[in-house]
Amino acid sequence: MNARRFAQQIALAAAPALLAGCVDSQSVLNPQSGEAHDLARLFWIFTTVCSLVWVLVVAALLTLLLRRRRPDSTPETDNLEQQSRKTAVVAGLVALTAVILVLFTLGSFYTTRGLIAPGPHPLLIKVTGAQWWWQVEYEDSDPTQVFSTANEIHIPVGRPVTFDLEATDVIHSFWAPNLMGKQDLIPGHRNSLTLTADKPGEYRGQCAEFCGLQHSHMAFLVVAQTPAEFWAWRQAQLKPAAPPASGQQALGQHLFVEGSCATCHTISGAGAGGKTGPDLTHFGSRSTIAAGLMANTPSNLAAWIKDPQELKPGVNMPQVPLSDHDRGAIVAYLEALK
Amino acid sequence: MSSAFAKIGLFAVALVLVGCEREKRDFNAGPPSSAATAEHFERDAYDISQGERLYGWMNCVGCHSHGGGGIGPALSDDNWIYGGTLQQIHDTIRDGRPNGMPAWGARLTDDEIWQIAAYVRSMGRYVAKDVAPSRQDAMQTSKAESRRPRLSPRWGAP
Amino acid sequence: MKAGRAIWFSLVLTICAAAGICAAADPLPPFARADDGQWTLPAKNTASTRFSTLAEINPANASRLRLDFTFKTGLGKGEEAAPLVVGNTMYIVTPYPNTVYALDLTKPGAVVKWRFDPHPAPASQGVACCDVINRGGAYADGKLVFNTLDGQTIALNATTGKLLWRTQLGNIKIGETITMAPLIARDKVLVGDSGGEFGVRGWIAALNLADGKIAWKAFNTGPDKDVLIGPSFRPFYAKDRGKDLGVSTWVGDEWKTGGGNVWGWVSYDPDLNLVYYGTGNPGPWNAEQRPGNNEWTAGIFARDLNTGQARWYYQWSPHDIYDHDGVNENILLDLHWRGQPRKVLVHPERNGYVYVLDRTTGEVLSAKPFVFINSSRGVDLKTGELLMNPAKKVGTDKTTYDICPTASGAKDWEPSAYSPRTGLLYIPHANLCMDEHGVSVSYIPGTPYVGADLRQKEGRGGHRGAFTAWDVLGQKKSWEVQEPLPVWSGAVVTAGDVVFYGTLDGWFKAVGARSGKLLWRYKTDSGIISQPVVYRGPDGHEYVAVLSGIGGWIGMVISNNMDARDKTGALGMVSAAGDLVGKVKKAGTLYVFRLR
Repeated sequence: MNARRFAQQIALAAAPALLAGCVDSQSVLNPQSGEAHDLARLFWIFTTVCSLVWVLVVAALLTLLLRRRRPDSTPETDNLEQQSRKTAVVAGLVALTAVILVLFTLGSFYTTRGLIAPGPHPLLIKVTGAQWWWQVEYEDSDPTQVFSTANEIHIPVGRPVTFDLEATDVIHSFWAPNLMGKQDLIPGHRNSLTLTADKPGEYRGQCAEFCGLQHSHMAFLVVAQTPAEFWAWRQAQLKPAAPPASGQQALGQHLFVEGSCATCHTISGAGAGGKTGPDLTHFGSRSTIAAGLMANTPSNLAAWIKDPQELKPGVNMPQVPLSDHDRGAIVAYLEALK
Repeated sequence: MSSAFAKIGLFAVALVLVGCEREKRDFNAGPPSSAATAEHFERDAYDISQGERLYGWMNCVGCHSHGGGGIGPALSDDNWIYGGTLQQIHDTIRDGRPNGMPAWGARLTDDEIWQIAAYVRSMGRYVAKDVAPSRQDAMQTSKAESRRPRLSPRWGAP
Repeated sequence: MKAGRAIWFSLVLTICAAAGICAAADPLPPFARADDGQWTLPAKNTASTRFSTLAEINPANASRLRLDFTFKTGLGKGEEAAPLVVGNTMYIVTPYPNTVYALDLTKPGAVVKWRFDPHPAPASQGVACCDVINRGGAYADGKLVFNTLDGQTIALNATTGKLLWRTQLGNIKIGETITMAPLIARDKVLVGDSGGEFGVRGWIAALNLADGKIAWKAFNTGPDKDVLIGPSFRPFYAKDRGKDLGVSTWVGDEWKTGGGNVWGWVSYDPDLNLVYYGTGNPGPWNAEQRPGNNEWTAGIFARDLNTGQARWYYQWSPHDIYDHDGVNENILLDLHWRGQPRKVLVHPERNGYVYVLDRTTGEVLSAKPFVFINSSRGVDLKTGELLMNPAKKVGTDKTTYDICPTASGAKDWEPSAYSPRTGLLYIPHANLCMDEHGVSVSYIPGTPYVGADLRQKEGRGGHRGAFTAWDVLGQKKSWEVQEPLPVWSGAVVTAGDVVFYGTLDGWFKAVGARSGKLLWRYKTDSGIISQPVVYRGPDGHEYVAVLSGIGGWIGMVISNNMDARDKTGALGMVSAAGDLVGKVKKAGTLYVFRLR
């Protein structure tokens, strides 16, 4: 294999990896919160300075390597003047390196300290990782303002949001690159993370700690909204589930509550109180199903209920035997839960 | 000398290859299992551990605790009111029993019931040691299933 | 000499009661003074004193107590009932299957006059949290009224044993059972449900004694109209004022499965016409799933007997996180409290404090600990607030160690007795601590809704129980008998200054009411977790009766044949009583003693 073909292949292999970083909704290079900006700034400072140092070092190395040496030159014959000049250069470079490292350390320290400083009156959201989905609970001192959802986190722009992070089974990691660095979710231990979104938008997040078979299908969506939009969304989420509007939906509700669905899923207001799987009280308002696996459409939902093990092997949702008619009723009911 | 290295190398390769035979996880078993084909549930560590999770999720713990019993009878001893074979435990879970055991047939799939039944069998160590759960994540108040002795060793199977 | 004095005293009491004078001297309210030697209600009277004016047995002669007769129920479940004595007949209600026996006391050897089998649904056994027990019946107006495990209230003709009426109140499909003893107050029967461990919504109902029809029913969670809260509701503390607190102190739908059951004791003051009862723990135990104060659980209601309308409410444990049901007995007394005559209510609470409340207003006058407590730091008498210790908070997927008292409380349902002669409240209780691990729990109808693993263990001092005499006016412990095992039987005290109680390993004990000195004891065949009673027999002599039969939450390890190797068994109680296995056997038996 010649050098050119090898280089081509490397470039080809590297391209997708590089391009993957270009997705704006899941990229550290597209910061959308104060915290992410701080991290990005740190990243760029490190990258720039390190690149500069690397370029200078490589340039110096190449210069010295390529410089023709006098054949009779030996270290023993260096004169005193040369010796002291060399010492000064080395000492200067060591000092410069030390200064750079100290500055890096200080920068990193102050940035990180800024990140963990709690903001005033943060919105409290408890996120619990489970194989393989995210439980999201909006906390409040007034219990009537508390509600649950899953896999889709709405936050107001401009207000600090503190995420309390826990896990029920194995270690997961919460990472929405546009908004914040990653933070582990550990069973039996509570971590927290605070961020303030700059502007409205939808940002994708992902479990960043290998957590089992479907680790790669454990995504979530952070929707940053204007305070007014967020307030409206929150008021809608606080309501109990909409009652069935048609005979088909009523059948769906009956099958859901009396059958196996309700043993794992909650639909507040309908009498389903399972906590093992995601809360489905306002399922129809969410944009994806199965933790970002597919878009939330009736046909996708029907396929998901028909055979979850085909679409996400190993998931805890079982393949419940249902007739097409009954499954259609459940899909109609769930999709109406806006 | 080199032959010794070769032997060690061969042994290492064999050791690595052993890891390649992964226990099969059958996520999509297809049609409901019959008793004849259900035996594999209690020979499979994955099924037993899924059974353990379901045992918690379906509130079995509330009545049977972690095997010691309470509202419901103990499951880690050698006393089986309605029989202790995998099939009998499965039927007890599916259909319920008149003195308080609720029927789960309408709330769980058949495979899930087999998994729970297999886990119940592991509580009193009626399954092989290598497939029984080896660690308790919660309070650790009793020995893990794989380390529990059977109460009556003379009865191989109930 | 001593016996003579006691008789003289009881005579004075009777005269006082009849004449309505010397009220200031007698801490018993007027309606609780009369005593005809019968035992018609489990707590003796509607003031729940468990005090008998009989004085034949006294510290000097108690050692001459001998067994008179026994009667075997033939059951292996926990016997928690109080035998009732009406005229020459004794009535006992057994645990499931809730058979009622009428025993003829005039004939030797406890001849059965009649028996009644209500045939409760067998499936009810699977939704009874803490053994299939029954806390006994109640008698009034020729009727014997009792509850069945599957949620019925039944009235029998006490003479013939014929069924008069039966009313289905509970629904076992959602885990609703009835284990409490009904209280008969005037023309009404007060009944409440059990099921706080199954996400059952608590209520109390008043049935007409005459026909069993429901006169009113008040829930303990939900909107004001369900709770029967109206214009006459005046809680003492600001926290309990507001509209529909039974909904707004819960998250979403949780109040519908929030517990607050009425499985304990009900008292009644005919002068104020108020009914007093405690409400059970909020469900599930894992409190992270139900943020908020969770009204009206783990508190006490005062209600008008005629309408059921709430008069006041006080919450012992707001947002209870330890299964601290507030259902223990409420003893109604008329005390000279700090120089003023006050109608009070004394309540030894599961959370470890003896509360003294003004029973007309619900104001907390005193709350002093009677055991070692580290889950809370006291009660703020200004706000009525229980001051919690955040270090002992319990949470999901988290183990909290060494919480005192436990889920079963400093004192569970086992009722105390009060003697107006000594001014002491005799409290049978436990001395346990626990480790608790919270887990997320799904509500699945008819299955336990708990969400916690527990391990209970001995408390400070190394003993697991105690029998404590509490000076109500002095607000301090007078004396204490330390017991190696938790004390799970009720107490009864007499004008002869003798107190009776039983132990889990089967000893039935008589101790001096003033000293706590052991006077006499008898070893029964099983453990005692019931309510001893004292009555005057057909021959005019004083008798003491008690049911022995291990079971209940504490004794399930025996009565349900549990595997004691699992320390979380029976909601963690196995680790507190697992050593009973092999020492105590199942045997439901009535024991009756008299002097010989």
